[in-house]
Order: sequence, then C-alpha cells, then structure tokens
Amino acid sequence: MNAPDRFERFVVPDGVPKISLEKDTKVTNAATFTLQREDHTVGNLVRMQLLRDKEVTFAGYKFPHPLDYHILIKVQTKGKKSPREVMDDALTDLCDEFDDIRAKFQAEARRVHSSEAGPGYM
Amino acid sequence: MTTLGENRRVPQVQIRVLRDDYCEFVLSDTDPSVANALRRIMLVEVPTIAIDLVEIEENTTVLNDEFIAHRLGLIPLVSNAVYNMKGVFEDAGEEDFMDVEMSLNVKCTSEDTMDVTSNDLTLDVKHPEVHPVGYKQGDFDALKRPILLVKMRKNQELRLRAVARKGIGKDHAKWIPVATVSFQYMPEISINRALMDTLTEQEKEDWVDATPSKGVFRYNNITKQVEVDNAELYQYDGEALAKSEELGKPGLVTIKERQDIFIFRVESTGVLKAEDVVLTALEVLMRKLRNLQEALPQQDVGAT
Repeated sequence: MNAPDRFERFVVPDGVPKISLEKDTKVTNAATFTLQREDHTVGNLVRMQLLRDKEVTFAGYKFPHPLDYHILIKVQTKGKKSPREVMDDALTDLCDEFDDIRAKFQAEARRVHSSEAGPGYM
Repeated sequence: MTTLGENRRVPQVQIRVLRDDYCEFVLSDTDPSVANALRRIMLVEVPTIAIDLVEIEENTTVLNDEFIAHRLGLIPLVSNAVYNMKGVFEDAGEEDFMDVEMSLNVKCTSEDTMDVTSNDLTLDVKHPEVHPVGYKQGDFDALKRPILLVKMRKNQELRLRAVARKGIGKDHAKWIPVATVSFQYMPEISINRALMDTLTEQEKEDWVDATPSKGVFRYNNITKQVEVDNAELYQYDGEALAKSEELGKPGLVTIKERQDIFIFRVESTGVLKAEDVVLTALEVLMRKLRNLQEALPQQDVGAT
C-alpha cells in the first residue's frame, strides 16, 4: 500500500541535483558527495578509483537505506587537490577505462567473427 | 585517445566464446569494482522491450486478468529496436517511438484443450521486428518452442491489446536481458613440491581423487608427481585443503583468487545478442559516469 513507486529508484526528481557536494565542517579538505539515484554499482566503483589517487587520504561510500535511492561518498584529500577535483579526475579515468574496454571488446568481437569457425572452449 | 591519467588502468579483453546467446570473455588488469559494476549494469540497466500495459477486452479463460497480464510481460521480445526507442521516463517528443502495440484474439472452438502461446500474438504492423523470441519458427526445437500463456476449453475466449515498451531490469525483472551474467576470479594454485614429495604414491592419487572439482589436479604416472591441470575448473570447494589436513600435511597446496583477472559468462535470453548486452552495458556505464561529471558542481569548496 505504501510501497514507493518503482521508478523512484532511477528517476531523479525535479529540482534535485544529480550530484551535490557538502564540505565537511570539522575536517579540512574533506567533503561528502550525494549522488541521487545511484547504488553500489557507482558507489564502489568510484570509491576504489578515488583510493588509487595519491592525493586522497580517505574515500568511502555508503548506501544509507535500500529505500533511500541515493549514495554518499566521503572524500578527504591531502590538500593539493580539492575533493571536487579528485572526484572529477576519478570520473574521467573511469570513463576512459570503460571506453578502452569497449574498444578492445569490439576489436575482439571483430576478430572472433572474422575467424569463421570461431573459438571453441579452452 | 585521451592522455592517460596517472591513476588509470589499462585493462585487456579476450573473448573465448561468442555466440548469439552466449559470450564468455576474460577481462584482466583491472579491479573487482570495475568487473562488478559491469556485471550489475548488464543485469539491471541494459534496456530491452517487454509488454508493459495490457487492456483485456474479453477473458473467459481459467486464469484471471492480472495473471495473464503478468505472463505476457514475461515473454522475451526481440529488442534490437530498443536503440531507437524512448522509455516512459525519458524526455520524449510527439515524434518519438515509444509504444509497440500487439494484440491477442483467440477462441477455442474444438472439443480438445487448446494452447494459447506467444505465437498467437498479433504483431504491430509498424514494428514487425519486435516479436517474441522464436516467434513462429517451429514447434519442435525446444529453444524455439512458443511460450505457453494459458490453456482453453471449448467456447473460452481471450481478447486483449498489449503495449510493449522500453524499460530496464531495475524497474521490473521482465526487462532483464540476460538469464545469467557472472564473473569468476581466476584461481591461482601452487603446489608445495617439497611437502608433496613426502606423500606416498597412493596418498598422492587419493589426494587428487578427493577433489570434487575434476580436472584441476592430475597425477602424472610417469613422473609420479601431482600437477595442476586446469586451475580454472576449481570450484572453491576446499576439499583439496581438507584432504591435506586429513593427511597431516596442511599447506600442500595454496589456492588464491586473483583479484585482477575475471572470467565473464553472459547468457542472453535471446532478446539481445550477448555481444550487444556487453557493449550496451559499457555504453550505459560511460553515459552514467559522464552525466555525473557534468552534474558535478563547478565551484570548489574543498581546498582551504
């Protein structure tokens, strides 16, 4: 009866930003990003990418509640780059990586299609 | 390609099997978070087409209206047209292609029980490419056999109009393009030679036979040695380790999951080619990340 609509899970409501940033009031160079209508897929992905950055001292994400369709990503940096900048870099790197995977997958698919018989199980 | 960010990985892809309904590939030199994101996207965010709205005109069958509507929704529809479609929650104009209208009109006139199947659906004349998987392709091939909707007896009737729409698995499971998509960590198995040599030949053979994951280890009759045959077949059952303990020789073998090689297996339901499921998933993921980047606030509040 009071179940939320299914589309709530992936449609960002009007007037709500897809991603917002709030600076931490107690810790320097730290901020929390709120990503609307995202889940573990992006949360874990971005967190792991942020942790590869040497400027990042802390990166973590949480999915506060299964019916609150947003995630929080907390980042702290050493100071040379702001949390916004490291997030920007992480997203760029991830995007490039997936573009790379796509190009390589397409090349492989072409290779497999061109060898008529196709590869068997190894 | 753009300049390589210092924290960017350079993954490798190798396709092993590629069929319309199945794809097996190895993704290496990357992180589990990337593999898992790809798996999760393939599962619930690759758009497909499924019946979403049903208007029942006449239903005198034994199944109630909701039941039939649900069964219609679950019919896999060939979804190559999905790339030109707009979903209900996307910005769409009047011109956009959003609905595929199908209908069903059957009445049983014979004394025998009649099967109403996916083959009885009348397709949209404007979009005949959107049809149930295996539509009117033969009743004998198990894979192409039509999907049973309901059975009828004499004088029962079913008349309805169904609208198929674009959607994603996150909304409803009927839009999931795959039967299964999984990834496996590549196992890394190393045998402690010195310790293995302290076993008798019989013990070695018993040890090899104790593993239910057949084909992982092999006892070589010529060299009298235990060898790793195919590490990939290992099922993480732990029996080899248990047997080592039992023989009083823990550490005979060490088994690790490599965190940088992933074996993906994608089984399509037939709505999209397995290859297209992977490629679309990658595109969806890239679009998602790009949208986030564009929405990232411009003002800098961090560095103080």
